Amino acid sequence: ADGARKKRKRSRWAAETTAVLPAQQATLPPGLTPKQQKVFYLHVQIEEITQRLRTGNLGIPSDPRDRSPSPEPVYNQRGQRLNTREFRTRKKLEEQRHKLIVEAREVDPAYKAPADYRPPEIKIED
Amino acid sequence: NINNLSSLSNVARPTRILVLLNMVEPDELKDQEEYEDIMEDVSDECGKFGAIKTIIIPRPDGDKEVPGLGKIFIEYESVDDAIKAQSSLGGRKFANRTVVTSWMDVEQFNNRIFS
Repeated sequence: ADGARKKRKRSRWAAETTAVLPAQQATLPPGLTPKQQKVFYLHVQIEEITQRLRTGNLGIPSDPRDRSPSPEPVYNQRGQRLNTREFRTRKKLEEQRHKLIVEAREVDPAYKAPADYRPPEIKIED
Repeated sequence: NINNLSSLSNVARPTRILVLLNMVEPDELKDQEEYEDIMEDVSDECGKFGAIKTIIIPRPDGDKEVPGLGKIFIEYESVDDAIKAQSSLGGRKFANRTVVTSWMDVEQFNNRIFS
């Protein structure tokens, strides 16, 4: 517990000061039922991740102290590192988006996933 | 009628009352320390856009149904500041969730009618 105390206090707000998603798209329309509100939150989160993947603005903190520790590097036969931070971050975002899409489909069977969405079985490596 | 109230309190036009959604889970608000921490994060960031009169973060109360639970209500002194805050905070990340916003009718807020 003592170790946790010494940790630098970090705000829950993302380090970036501007949103990836335009505020207009994150405005809840009036008159929605609680279920419709939930669907709306899911859509906003899916869209946010989609735009990150599309634009390459992955939200990797610029301050290395804010980043998670790196795993052991993995290289291919040509000596290129495979598990770079960008690769790992993209993978994490894809996984998060997949979970949200599954949830959105459960709540709303008519939900259409973004065009660039691929279920996680397909490996994008090499 | 509850349904009428909830659609009335969430208005399309900007007001002094900015509602932040999808930021906190009821469980996170149970712990006093975590609640205070969240309150500090919210007031620090929201205060950058203008003077705030009140911040209300409803907290869980046993098994009771708490109106507005999971939402954060920010009362600004001016509509302009609330609009500035909305355009900056909407779509941003808070604790890894994407912030959704809405506007609340001032009279409903004054009467503390949350939904």
